[in-house]
Amino acid sequence: MAEQTNQDSTKSLMEEIGITDREIANRCAFLELGEKDIKELLGIDPVAEAYADPVIEDFYKHLLNFEETRVFFQDRQVLERVKRAQKQYFARLTRGNYDKDYIEDRLKIGAVHERIGLPVKAYLGMYNFYLRNVAARLFDEYKNDREKALRAFLSLLKVVFLDMGLAIDTYINRREQLIGKQQEAMRELPTPVLRVRERLLILPVVGVLESYRAHQLTEQLLESIGTTRAKAAIVDITGVPVVDSRVANHLLQTVSAARLMGATVILTGLSSQIAQALVAIGVDLSQVKTTVDLQSGLEEAERLLGYRLVPAGDKARSDQLHP
Amino acid sequence: MTDVVQITVRSDADIILVRQQARMLAKELGFSSSDLTLIATALSELARNIVEYARQGEIVLSQIRQGSRRGITIIARDRGPGIADIERAMLDGYSTGKGLGLGLPGAKRLMDEFEITSSLGQGTTVKATKWAR
Ligand SMILES: Nc1ncnc2c1ncn2[C@@H]1O[C@H](COP(=O)(O)OP(=O)(O)OP(=O)(O)O)[C@@H](O)[C@H]1O
Ligand SMILES: [Mg+2]
Repeated sequence: MAEQTNQDSTKSLMEEIGITDREIANRCAFLELGEKDIKELLGIDPVAEAYADPVIEDFYKHLLNFEETRVFFQDRQVLERVKRAQKQYFARLTRGNYDKDYIEDRLKIGAVHERIGLPVKAYLGMYNFYLRNVAARLFDEYKNDREKALRAFLSLLKVVFLDMGLAIDTYINRREQLIGKQQEAMRELPTPVLRVRERLLILPVVGVLESYRAHQLTEQLLESIGTTRAKAAIVDITGVPVVDSRVANHLLQTVSAARLMGATVILTGLSSQIAQALVAIGVDLSQVKTTVDLQSGLEEAERLLGYRLVPAGDKARSDQLHP
Repeated sequence: MTDVVQITVRSDADIILVRQQARMLAKELGFSSSDLTLIATALSELARNIVEYARQGEIVLSQIRQGSRRGITIIARDRGPGIADIERAMLDGYSTGKGLGLGLPGAKRLMDEFEITSSLGQGTTVKATKWAR
């Protein structure tokens, strides 16, 4: 199951996981993977070549029996492509040279699996299935030299565990990166509450509005309404990519709570896409004052607060009106 | 070129991730930006239901290329408590929690095709497809 990824990202993957020549030597030493094993493995390479096809066939029959793995092979072409790649992958196990290039290649393959979301348990299960099948075939092949079959199998086990360690490392590495990124995204850049005029607040919301932030937004808004005795608050959601029923519900509740405190909330910056989605979902925003953009929201708020609106041309006069 | 992506969802952060992935896959297929938002919203509903009612589950996103037709299929699957009465769950305003009860019927309206299967104690699977226009 392999697909090419670009060279650079794998290079940095090697660095990220900390694969150096020394680290490779260290991993091999820990597994006691040495010259003898390489010789054993090279020795069974022709046999491995012969059992490659039937083992792959059984392997994919097995994978197609499970929902977790079947989803990846809905398409015949994909299945064939992946089978070929998998055959190469297995074939490589008995070819020696477990060096930096080998490791790089293995990491690349691990990363592809991680990216498509193959669960670790499936990854390990696949190695297990493979090893059991190969064991049966080796012992069958070397009926008269079971010692040899065992030696070869144990050597193969070491290489497979080297691979498994690398695969799991790519998963952990990706997960760590993801957690870092998410923490950044979720780090509640608390929405600022801007007091633009006496009794008028603006809350520009940027980024995803998940339950925690939505909750925070409500608290901040209500608290500010309390302390500033604001009569109007503009919640601008221009920077929010998705509003689903839960977020909409949250906004509705916030609006009602603000109303109880004597303030009107004006929702601005509802994009046409979000508006369409909300209509399709069936959220009823008819009780909420909404405007397309912040500008018209401000105008609406000023009207509510009893400011007189003056055309922009009459600037001098408007300045007099707003000392 | 990715055909299928499977993502485990357990938290809000996963929901964000799933939506990002879906936007990427759909964009590759030439969906319009308003369709991307509709897909992301439907996905958000399904993923949220998983986190809320089943605690965890998987979302599988697949690109469909059939001749000149392009589409994206969302499978939202969990092994949670299941839904006792699917017909009611699909009604606007029906919620066993404190929600608006619009997630499932809303997701159906946002997508072109929608199937839901569920059995008590076994879990719930929703399969929904949207075609690029
Ligand atoms: N994955 C699921 N597992 C178990 N029950 C579910 C699942 N998804 C939905 N349900 C049930 O179906 C009901 C309706 O779901 P729906 O998403 O339409 O509304 P909601 O989640 O209650 O509210 P909203 O989505 O509007 O916030 C839910 O209240 C819940 O009882
Ligand atoms: Mg819901």
